[in-house]
Amino acid sequence: MPARNHSQWMAKPPLADDEWIDSRIYSDQEIFEDEQEKIFKHVWVPVCHESELPKAYDFRTTSIAGEPVIICRGPDDEVRAFLNVCPHRGMLIERRPSGSFLEGQPSGNPKRITCMFHAWQFDMKGNCVYVAREKEGYQDRFCKEQAGLRRLRCEVKFGGFVWVNLDDKPSVSLEDWAGAPFECLRKTLDEEPLEIFHYHKAVIDTNYKLWHDTNSEFYHDFMHYHNRVTGFNDAYFARNNEAFPHGHVVVGTFEVNYENYEGFESRGELSFPHLPPNQWYMIDLFPGFNFNLRGSALRCDTVTPLGPDKVMIEFRGLGLKSDTEEERITRINHHNSIWGPFGRNLHEDLIGVAGQGTTMRPGTEERRILHGRQENQTIHDENGMRHYYEEWGRWVDRSPSQPDQAYSVRQGVAAAE
Amino acid sequence: MPKNGYETAQAVRDTIYRASLALDDFSWQDWLDLCAPDEFHYMITSFSPEIGKNMIYLQGSWKEMKLMVDMLPKHNTDHSPLHRHTSVYTVDVSADGKTAEAVSSVVIYQNMLDGINSHIDSGESRLFLVGKYHDQFKIEDGVAKFTKRDTRLGNRRLDKGSHYPI
Ligand code: FES
Ligand SMILES: [Fe+2]
Repeated sequence: MPARNHSQWMAKPPLADDEWIDSRIYSDQEIFEDEQEKIFKHVWVPVCHESELPKAYDFRTTSIAGEPVIICRGPDDEVRAFLNVCPHRGMLIERRPSGSFLEGQPSGNPKRITCMFHAWQFDMKGNCVYVAREKEGYQDRFCKEQAGLRRLRCEVKFGGFVWVNLDDKPSVSLEDWAGAPFECLRKTLDEEPLEIFHYHKAVIDTNYKLWHDTNSEFYHDFMHYHNRVTGFNDAYFARNNEAFPHGHVVVGTFEVNYENYEGFESRGELSFPHLPPNQWYMIDLFPGFNFNLRGSALRCDTVTPLGPDKVMIEFRGLGLKSDTEEERITRINHHNSIWGPFGRNLHEDLIGVAGQGTTMRPGTEERRILHGRQENQTIHDENGMRHYYEEWGRWVDRSPSQPDQAYSVRQGVAAAE
Repeated sequence: MPKNGYETAQAVRDTIYRASLALDDFSWQDWLDLCAPDEFHYMITSFSPEIGKNMIYLQGSWKEMKLMVDMLPKHNTDHSPLHRHTSVYTVDVSADGKTAEAVSSVVIYQNMLDGINSHIDSGESRLFLVGKYHDQFKIEDGVAKFTKRDTRLGNRRLDKGSHYPI
């Protein structure tokens, strides 16, 4: 087709209703606020890995949908999560990203979570154990027993990740939420403890869903020289995108030929437990969490939306806790070769979504974003994104292709179900 | 300080500054020529208080770095030039004068070209990375060649990252 005039450009694409979406879902402030309220405050979020707080009294801080969260490990080895908000005058209780409560703080004692402001102290179960000059100020009207922290749903699961849900009554348990997509790697991830070796973050001027889309579609392997030379063969094109309830997708495995990239090596020697050499599995969890296992290293991406056009992505790399020093270095090198901040692929992926963010700034005219490739749910089929946006539509009650209208099952999906 | 220690320290500084210019210019071969091919080991590292670990973000031998830069034309990349300000803080020459170690401070700016929206940002300089170079050298005929460079970054937020040696 030749270049189009404005009405041709804005016309509905000649595809089924579920095969395209409206770019306003990537740029609209109201939709972003809906997502924070209706999605992120109610889903299970993998906030960190338990090896980030390996010892009793270790803690880690994070946030979900703008709410500050603290995770700590008690003397009973239990990992618990609380709002990182002081019940007195709302101070952020712990300001550091991680640390240990075994050390006393300027305002408080060892083994206590202390708010520096007026020295209220809490134990690892979130009980308030000290209110400074309690009786003098509150007499019999209020006491520390009424000043506990806000506890949050928290579970350590699927390879030792720490999952938190801001909703006290999640619509489904964590097992029912993510158990089915994790089935392909459950034995592998739970055979022995994992350990984190890599952390970095990116703040990109783009919508968080564009990052998740990129993690869920492999058609963009054309952008990655590495993936073309190590991947494109019959087994690659036969890989399946399998949709799971709750908007999740799993991309099935095949054997990657890492040696086809000059200077790179097979990862066969250091495969994760129960896996044949050089396998590559990808689990994409709604609304923006990704677990990516390439033979010898596991990567996990977590999105934290900061605005309709801004996202923080945290990148983690993990190996086996039992690694020798030499094995660990090899895993780190494998991880970094494509996934590190100076690796071959990650930089390309991030340029991709930054470019999309540029064309979809708030205030730009809406665009039709095509998700219409149909290839029997194999690797370059865009069914992963189609499946995701049906779930998204249900959660925010908006049509992905007409976001100012309420959600109703879209045409292609209705036909498929 | 060994005999000729002053000249050796000057040779070390000279190599560090020439490497900075070569890296600024993306003159990869000029940079590699300042490194001893059989011994050179390159690293980008950082300590993460978030996970409480020293991390390696990239590492490789001379040959691996050469392969990496030779492959650049096959990769999509952010072509924004990087400009660094390097200050050599300390140079320690060994007693026999055959090796040396140096610590330098480095600040790297990204001179925006095509990374995000060139119409708006091209021509602008943004702070990209800060860190220290921990370098090791061998000294032959008064010339200092890198045997190791550890670029220790202060950053864990790296945004789009980079395909370039830093
Ligand atoms: S705000 Fe925390 S003790 Fe007062
Ligand atoms: Fe990619």
